[in-house]
Amino acid sequence: MTQTRHPDPGLPAALRRNWPAIVFLSPAAIVLLVFMAIPMANSIVLSFQSWNGMSAPVWVGLRNYRALFGDRLFLIALGNTAYFTIVTVILQTTLPLLVACLLNAGIRGGVLFRTLYFMPVIISLAISGLLWAMIYEPNFGVLNEFLRSIGLGGLTQLWLADRRTVMPSIIAVSIWQSLGFYLVIYYAAMQNIPGELYDAAKIDSANALQRLWHVTVPMLRPVIVLVVVLNTINGIKVFDQIWVMTAGGPNHASDTLGTYLYSTSFGAMGSSNPQLGYATSIAIVILVLSFILSIVQIRLGRRQEIEY
Amino acid sequence: MNAISHYHASARTFDIPRVQVLLIFSRTLIYVTLILIMIVQAFPLVWMILTSIKNQREVFSSFLPTQIDLSNFQRIWNAIDLPRHLINSLYVTSLTVIIVVIVATLAGYVFARFHFRGKDALFYLFIGAMMIPGQAILIPMFQFLKSIGLLNTLTGLSFSYLGGAVAFSIFLMRSFFMSLPRELGDAGRIDGCGEFGVFWYVYLPLARPGVATVVIIQSMGIWNEFMFSNTFISSPGSKTIQAALFQAVGRYATDYAALSSGLILALIPIVTIYLVLQKQFVEGLTAGALKG
Repeated sequence: MTQTRHPDPGLPAALRRNWPAIVFLSPAAIVLLVFMAIPMANSIVLSFQSWNGMSAPVWVGLRNYRALFGDRLFLIALGNTAYFTIVTVILQTTLPLLVACLLNAGIRGGVLFRTLYFMPVIISLAISGLLWAMIYEPNFGVLNEFLRSIGLGGLTQLWLADRRTVMPSIIAVSIWQSLGFYLVIYYAAMQNIPGELYDAAKIDSANALQRLWHVTVPMLRPVIVLVVVLNTINGIKVFDQIWVMTAGGPNHASDTLGTYLYSTSFGAMGSSNPQLGYATSIAIVILVLSFILSIVQIRLGRRQEIEY
Repeated sequence: MNAISHYHASARTFDIPRVQVLLIFSRTLIYVTLILIMIVQAFPLVWMILTSIKNQREVFSSFLPTQIDLSNFQRIWNAIDLPRHLINSLYVTSLTVIIVVIVATLAGYVFARFHFRGKDALFYLFIGAMMIPGQAILIPMFQFLKSIGLLNTLTGLSFSYLGGAVAFSIFLMRSFFMSLPRELGDAGRIDGCGEFGVFWYVYLPLARPGVATVVIIQSMGIWNEFMFSNTFISSPGSKTIQAALFQAVGRYATDYAALSSGLILALIPIVTIYLVLQKQFVEGLTAGALKG
């Protein structure tokens, strides 16, 4: 607070001067140390060990990590995670942006639409997963019922039980659930774009699409980067909705890093062979991937000044 | 080709009507699109509500119920002891949120209003926890709770949320305190307040909207959490509402009416909070996302 008033007075004086700050910060420091830093450090150590949760852990160096790349199920999970992440990043960045543009086109009732679109956001991923599992149910689920009732019975699917349709079905739920959230973020940011820019573009006879591409998108660049980052992180760690709907099935067709980690550790708990060290190395892969990708995206988006 | 250029020529002659026609056309298109999206967004929820009030014969046979049957709510309420799980969730959520608000308000205030060497580095170290996904600490947290005897307890579950929740809330509270004028604190100091007095009497009363934002966002996040609650709680009676419904699906797989009623009952508390504090919630989300 008064740093400029004195020349550096040495550590004890600095402590004396900043003691309110130290008192205020210590609860947070303790919480973050005990409930985040130490577990995180333990995770890193555990990922270099082999451990069934009962007997003493054995140090195995990089063996868990090396084993990952020879593990067919891990590679399937990695592929599915990439699939889920890429598709949701693309669709959940663009669709809410387009809908926000429609809402921003000076129509009436925008608030009503926005509120209704937002309702799925409030619902937990687990509950929406349970709800959609009922909708997708092949025999009496409402989706197949609907297709049959309009004479498109040929299009009915075993949505969550068929390896070809399971990932798209889960992705559709993700889009349904998150549309309102990203929409609200985009919409709020659009309110800060000066109207003169659009007027100028109109004078240059730019059509709606051109205005979107040449005015809205550049002005929203920092927000778009943010949405891409959030979507990437959520994609890499996706777990709840998949675990609830399919637990990674059928035959691993919807296994992701999150669900594979879970079934390697807790899903198999009590059964033959919980592999906690191995599962933790998957957790570290999730952490490293989401960390690297978010840094890359933030860097790429930094051509304009962004403050986080 | 000819027809098209002819159309353009004639359209240019009647420029004003053409613009109006285009405007009405595009307006209609926008509304139709928005309504279609609305149907897609609302349908699952409407279907869930309708299913919850159908009698069991109608569940799979008709879309609209012929009469309202509320016995499904009663059935699921008793079958999985729903009140107990709602109270469990309520306990976990309130305990976490109370601790988070106290801890994060103090820390957020320091990061917004104090100056000392290494502050920025410390801030990024603190909120770095936002980047860590739950999976990365799932197994050590399980072992840690076990070692301190809090595994399979609601208090232990609540503690497991603290790290992530505190990090994000510090971030929000810092932005909020930074938005308050600095002069207020100086005025307080001139009036003889110490650093604690300035915080307690000047800034804290003004921080209520910020605190409300933290309360709403964290309540929603913790009420809705599934992975930790499904992992750290094994005894059936201690499960949170999310985990309890997940368990119930196995037993009531085909009783859609009862399951839908259960989902609705689990949603009521959080939807109520949302509807009451909706403006604050959306502002908080966008502030967290946009201003930082």
